[in-house]
Amino acid sequence: MDTLLQTLLNGAASGGVYALVALGYTLIFSVLGVINFAQGALFSLGGYLTYLLLGGKIGVNGALPGWGLPIALPFWLALLLAALGSGVVGLLVERIAFAPLRRRGAEPLLSLITSLGAGVVLVNLLQLLMGAEGYAFPQGAAGLAHLPDSLLLGGARIRTIQVLLLAISALAVASLSLWLERSRSGKAMRAVAEDPTTATLLGINSVAVVRLAFLLSGMLAGLGGGLIGMSVSLAGPYFGISYGLKGLAVLVLGGLGSVPGAIVGGLVMGLAEALISSAASGWRDALAFAILFAVLVLRPSGLLGRRQLEKV
Amino acid sequence: MIDNGLLVQMILGALLGLSVYLPMAAGQLSLATPAFYAVGGTLAALLSTHGSSQSTISLWAVLGEMLLAAGLTAGLALLVGLPVLRLRGIYLAIATIALVEMVRVAILNLPFTGGAAGIFGIPQPFQKPFGYVLFSGGLLAVCGWLFQRLEASRLVRSMAAIRDDELASRCMGIHTTRVKLTAFVASAVLAGITGVIAAHYLNTWNARQGSFDVAITTLAFVILGGSRSWLGPVLGGLLLTALPELLRPVGDLRLVLFGLVILLGPVFFPQGLITPTLLERLGRWKP
Repeated sequence: MDTLLQTLLNGAASGGVYALVALGYTLIFSVLGVINFAQGALFSLGGYLTYLLLGGKIGVNGALPGWGLPIALPFWLALLLAALGSGVVGLLVERIAFAPLRRRGAEPLLSLITSLGAGVVLVNLLQLLMGAEGYAFPQGAAGLAHLPDSLLLGGARIRTIQVLLLAISALAVASLSLWLERSRSGKAMRAVAEDPTTATLLGINSVAVVRLAFLLSGMLAGLGGGLIGMSVSLAGPYFGISYGLKGLAVLVLGGLGSVPGAIVGGLVMGLAEALISSAASGWRDALAFAILFAVLVLRPSGLLGRRQLEKV
Repeated sequence: MIDNGLLVQMILGALLGLSVYLPMAAGQLSLATPAFYAVGGTLAALLSTHGSSQSTISLWAVLGEMLLAAGLTAGLALLVGLPVLRLRGIYLAIATIALVEMVRVAILNLPFTGGAAGIFGIPQPFQKPFGYVLFSGGLLAVCGWLFQRLEASRLVRSMAAIRDDELASRCMGIHTTRVKLTAFVASAVLAGITGVIAAHYLNTWNARQGSFDVAITTLAFVILGGSRSWLGPVLGGLLLTALPELLRPVGDLRLVLFGLVILLGPVFFPQGLITPTLLERLGRWKP
């Protein structure tokens, strides 16, 4: 029987990952006003890259059964490099799925389709290379081996990996917020989000800002994928898609384009899911969307979003 | 290459494409089609397997199911449409994705819908796929005839006006909510009755039939076929349903190629395959 503290911590840990995904959407939405539907696929990619960098081998259904990287990196490094890899692929998605449409001044909703297409390509390439089977991460990965399996916290037994999950996502979210708030490039991004034309007139290279947003957004998704792979497992190439959809729900819950909203929304969603009794666990997946639906109908600006004024 | 079985699926794809096209013709990006498709299919599966284990069913019974499915989906669409259609652009798209996911999880978890495995042994009104080709082809023809007939009607012109400028059309005295709701309900009904035919044709029905993936593929039908005329989604539905089958020789690469088509289609054909210029050139078909 789980204690309440256990449940809350588990909820906060998955909430942290939801926040990562939602922040990825937020960065791109605030500078371009569009949703990158390839986010879920980048999440999957991050998980698989982490697996390979940790020294995991490709299963029997993959393109190269039994093949693996000749290295086994420590967990921290693998996670970081995998996130970077997803970020670079995110940049590629921008180049192929978004940039050509933007240059032509096409209907922004078209990028919904193209980014989805990019996601379909990515997921199916993963499937081609790694097979459809699930993967569990190598046990006792370097850098984690000396940590105990679980911790005793206030009378509750908590898996170490859940604590790590929460700590790493909190660290990522905090450094991202700090960067947006303080650094020159972070301020440039906020300026472009506020008003791209004025920002460009003020000498901000808005193209570079957009690329940076895609890089960071891909990194956040990849990081989430690596963390979930570590704490649960990789349940096939499509596993990121459901996290991508949940992140979308969190994004709306917090308010589109709002950074604190994405964080609060992620935590609310994670906790709400954790508090659903295990008897109704089949319905858990509907919760995110029921919340999403209710928020859109009752308060479309989200928990912490700004009310948008319609320009005529 | 294209046998009768694939032809049925292509026609069902075209019908679903039309269902996505309807709200879009009124400027509303709704992805709700798979939700209503799933409702229609589940209804047919439940009704036709309830209390009987026969492997055939009369065509009249199927028509009755279609009528019921039309009523049920219309009611649902009215209920959902009123609050949801106040949303615009991306918000509406996300809300309808949420609807699709809620319906999927509900069908997966309800005690009488067979769980993940779904419902099996749905009786057949036709013994050969060719019967389904005639039946669904007939429905598609009726839809096409209706679309063509209504092209110049007040309703369809109001839809086009809302698509071009919602505020201006409201100023012109168009009851925008009513027009948008009509398009949404019509889209739901079309998806629902398509679901009924699909359930009988597939012989089995489960929650995966109406998932996020279906929302994407059906949207791709409209975007790649062209969203400026009803011919676009029909062509898109026929082609894109056939594509993965025709790509079968390339094996596992086919889904990658399918993704590439969705990714690059809007880049190279921003207006889709059937554009207003093309229709103009064809002369007889005025968009």
